Amino acid sequence: MHEFSVTRSLVELCEQEASRNNMKTVRRINLKVGKFTGFSPDSINFYFEHLKADTRCHSACLVFEEIPIKIACRDCHGQHVIEEPTLLCPKCGSDKIELVSGREFFVASIEGE
Amino acid sequence: MKKINVLKPVLVSNQQRARENRKVFDKMNSLVINIIGSPGAGKTSFIKNIVTNLKTKYKILVIEGDIKGQIDSKTISRLGVDVIQINTVTECHLDAFMTAQALGRIKKKYDLVLVENVGNLVCPAEFEIGEDYKLAILSTPEGDDKPLKYPLLFHLARVIVINKCDLLPYVDFGVGDAIRNIRKENPGATIFEVAAKTGAGFDKVCKHLEKEIHARKKKNTR
Ligand SMILES: Nc1nc2c(ncn2[C@@H]2O[C@H](COP(=O)(O)OP(=O)(O)O)[C@@H](O)[C@H]2O)c(=O)[nH]1
Ligand SMILES: [Mg+2]
Ligand SMILES: [Zn+2]
Repeated sequence: MHEFSVTRSLVELCEQEASRNNMKTVRRINLKVGKFTGFSPDSINFYFEHLKADTRCHSACLVFEEIPIKIACRDCHGQHVIEEPTLLCPKCGSDKIELVSGREFFVASIEGE
Repeated sequence: MKKINVLKPVLVSNQQRARENRKVFDKMNSLVINIIGSPGAGKTSFIKNIVTNLKTKYKILVIEGDIKGQIDSKTISRLGVDVIQINTVTECHLDAFMTAQALGRIKKKYDLVLVENVGNLVCPAEFEIGEDYKLAILSTPEGDDKPLKYPLLFHLARVIVINKCDLLPYVDFGVGDAIRNIRKENPGATIFEVAAKTGAGFDKVCKHLEKEIHARKKKNTR
């Protein structure tokens, strides 16, 4: 699955950030993953274990924090967190909504020495 | 131990590359459509219909993304238009880097670039390649609930094509239900019903594409 190339980008990004900040060993990578993405933490972890060898991340672990799917409704003017990405306002049923969050996938921070 | 705030998207490099591809396509004045659907949904058959209808009026390039083999690109090049094949090998989608390699092989200007992505409803949706928009193909044997099961693709696609409508009498597929399910994910989508086997419905699709090709040209001749 595409988690292979995603994990490769992840390792590259952390490697760059660590080297720019003189961090020799990364111990922990804090990730934020929107619920409305197709990324599976399990397979990212699986590939990470292989790809981290010989990098500054070789002894790092991944910590995932999920970002909920949030929509803004133009009819009732509320913001709502929804469980399933069915893009209807859970309060008034309107379809005039905008996605506020849920599509992100980013590295929040790295920790190490 | 120290902590460094990064706050950068993991796919930043793909997005940057997609923007660079976009610039190349802009220079050529091309309308670029990223076509996504399950294996067998009719992506190649859809492209064949468009090419047959529009090839005398417009310069068309087809980019074929496939895990391996050249079957689809051979089928298309027999129609007399240029085809570039990208074998993704282990990847289940085209990304901006693979597309950039194909761009390096382009020698002419095209009005319309049709990209057949790898057959898959999940992964290709996540990766921009520098397209104007994504077009999703849903075929009737797949079932009318697919937009709810693969919401991301149907949310992102600007045009959604329901294919194999000739099979409606034989399959359990409600066009009304499918459209309702699509609208839940994507209220503004343009939806077409076609049968790539018979050519039914393609007059409307082609008219729509022609309008977009012309709009694209105007946009660039500022
Ligand atoms: N009955 C019917 N069969 C179709 C239609 N469109 C495509 N097919 C058939 O579906 C199969 C897969 O089509 P293809 O275009 O190769 O799908 P792709 O894998 O998405 O590129 C082929 O056998 C086509 O002939 C259609 O509108 N009706
Ligand atoms: Mg095909
Ligand atoms: Zn509302």
